[in-house]
Amino acid sequence: MPETGPPAGAETGFTDEEALEHIDALYRTALRLTRNPADAEDLVQETYLRAFRFRDRFLAGSNLRAWLFKILSNAAISRFRHLSHETGDRSLDEMGEFDLHAHSVDGGGALRESAEEEALSQILDVDVRRALEELPEQFRLALLLSDVEGFSYKEIADVLDVPLGTVMSRLFRGRRMLRAKLEEYARPAARRGEGSNQ
Amino acid sequence: MNCSEAEARLNEFVDRELSEAEVIEVQHHLDSCPPCLRRYRFESHLRRVVRLACSEMAPDSLRARILDERLHI
Repeated sequence: MPETGPPAGAETGFTDEEALEHIDALYRTALRLTRNPADAEDLVQETYLRAFRFRDRFLAGSNLRAWLFKILSNAAISRFRHLSHETGDRSLDEMGEFDLHAHSVDGGGALRESAEEEALSQILDVDVRRALEELPEQFRLALLLSDVEGFSYKEIADVLDVPLGTVMSRLFRGRRMLRAKLEEYARPAARRGEGSNQ
Repeated sequence: MNCSEAEARLNEFVDRELSEAEVIEVQHHLDSCPPCLRRYRFESHLRRVVRLACSEMAPDSLRARILDERLHI
């Protein structure tokens, strides 16, 4: 939930219809974050209840979609914290951030690209979803906001309340991890393709 | 612009985060460098694959439940 509201006297709020326009986007993101429909529905419902309750903190005419995603992200992150505390999963704590400019660019990968692209087209949607769902939450969320929802880096920085460099770093690392996982899945998929070629 | 400079800007290029001047520079490099162009196509394709895999719609029952809860706020 955004800590500070709009200035006094500013027009605030939104209609139910305006908020519900974003339900599909919130739901598909929640589905990737929670990995199951029942929890995703709970998360989206919680998001809307908070949004309606704090409606007067939303500056009319500003970015409602980003505001709703911010609420969803905060709710999801507190759930992860709660879960990781219960299960002893330390994935959130172990994720160190690092400066984007510290990345060395790995050259020499270009020759593999067309083969990879071909392999990528063999991959099933279910494998892509599984690969995404296996990424650590912070990287997964940044990728979803960018690739699926089309938010700009600046908007993602606002939604996640982190610096722009952190967004770029998470996207860079998240895509690298995703790509490695898809490569793993592509190999058996390619073999299945060969096997059915009779 | 050489390959490593282009590669360093590739994500921002694909995500439309570069300035107009930078876009022209990267585009110019891609036009003359098949390996970087392949890499660009791969990056674009990866994003498309992710987007298409995540296109579920919220169930109508969820929408109804939220509107119902809304009445109690």
